[in-house]
Amino acid sequence: MFSSARSAAALALRVKPASALIPYRSIAAISSSSSKPASAVTAHNASGNPSTSVTGKPRREVPLPSQEEKKGAMQYALTTLDQIANWARQGSLWPMTFGLACCAVEMMHLSTPRYDQDRLGIIFRASPRQSDVMIVAGTLTNKMAPALRQVYDQMPDPRWVVSMGSCANGGGYYHYSYSVTRGCDRIVPVDIYVPGCPPTSEALMYGIFQLQKKMRHTKITRMWYRK
Amino acid sequence: MSTILRTLRNLYRVGLRDAAHQMQYMGDTKAGTFIAKDKFGNKYYENLEEELPLRTRWVDYKEKEFDPSQIEPGWHAWISYMVDKPPTQDPILQTGVRPWELPEHRPNFTASRGAFKTYSTVKPKIKAWTPEAAPRA
Repeated sequence: MFSSARSAAALALRVKPASALIPYRSIAAISSSSSKPASAVTAHNASGNPSTSVTGKPRREVPLPSQEEKKGAMQYALTTLDQIANWARQGSLWPMTFGLACCAVEMMHLSTPRYDQDRLGIIFRASPRQSDVMIVAGTLTNKMAPALRQVYDQMPDPRWVVSMGSCANGGGYYHYSYSVTRGCDRIVPVDIYVPGCPPTSEALMYGIFQLQKKMRHTKITRMWYRK
Repeated sequence: MSTILRTLRNLYRVGLRDAAHQMQYMGDTKAGTFIAKDKFGNKYYENLEEELPLRTRWVDYKEKEFDPSQIEPGWHAWISYMVDKPPTQDPILQTGVRPWELPEHRPNFTASRGAFKTYSTVKPKIKAWTPEAAPRA
């Protein structure tokens, strides 16, 4: 019987590569761990409802805020109001400069004539009470974190935060340092993450365009009316 | 936007409808030769004689919510003055000829359904269990 199995295995070796694993089963027999063949694994969606999410709950499609339809005359009127308010907001974006490291140099380049942030209505303010958006540029250390939070708390609503560079996004190069906060989103809520080490001025400007896009889709009076 | 005379001259050249469109999207009236339309539908223009340096090539986006990432790579090279000829004339810049190229250009998917969302493939460090209370005697 053993010899016949061996010959069958040899035959299988010649015939099909899929059954070429048969000789190795004898080695698996001396192993103490249970066999876990790949064919025994069932896919997540194989059984039952195919539209379940990772958590097992039934999947449910929620429209994005930008995809929601307008309903009723009031919504149309308030949309126009929102557009005016958003246009005013994105036209004069005054950043609180929170330059902490080399990213701040690129942030300064944004204000120089080549990229010329003034044409977008962006003027750096030294006071948090006069600014709309905080650009966290550079490594945020644990010692600086309370100051960052205080400056954020001093900013008037509406306020946004742009996290600029790897260090502000998630610690970056100093992620494993004992003294560095692993991302400024642990301290303040961040709207836009600009990747790069440091990001170029173009990248920061693109991030600001993305922030303006986010502002354009903000429903100010519509949310107020819903309440 | 430089002078009123230039603005009005370009308005006369491109027509009232296009000028209004340009003022809405670019804040300036520009007259130039139409180069081509890319696969997405953006239109590209050029005027090397009259415009100032680095303003000689421009794009008219297809979408209202425009984004620079909607420009395809070849056209990006052209509009950033990396190459002289547009991708319609340059054989090197022809899209879809290399095996590693994506079949279609993908813009930035931020704030849309296609946005990247982090996920973990490792085994969770904490496992939830269903508590079973032993019946009291």
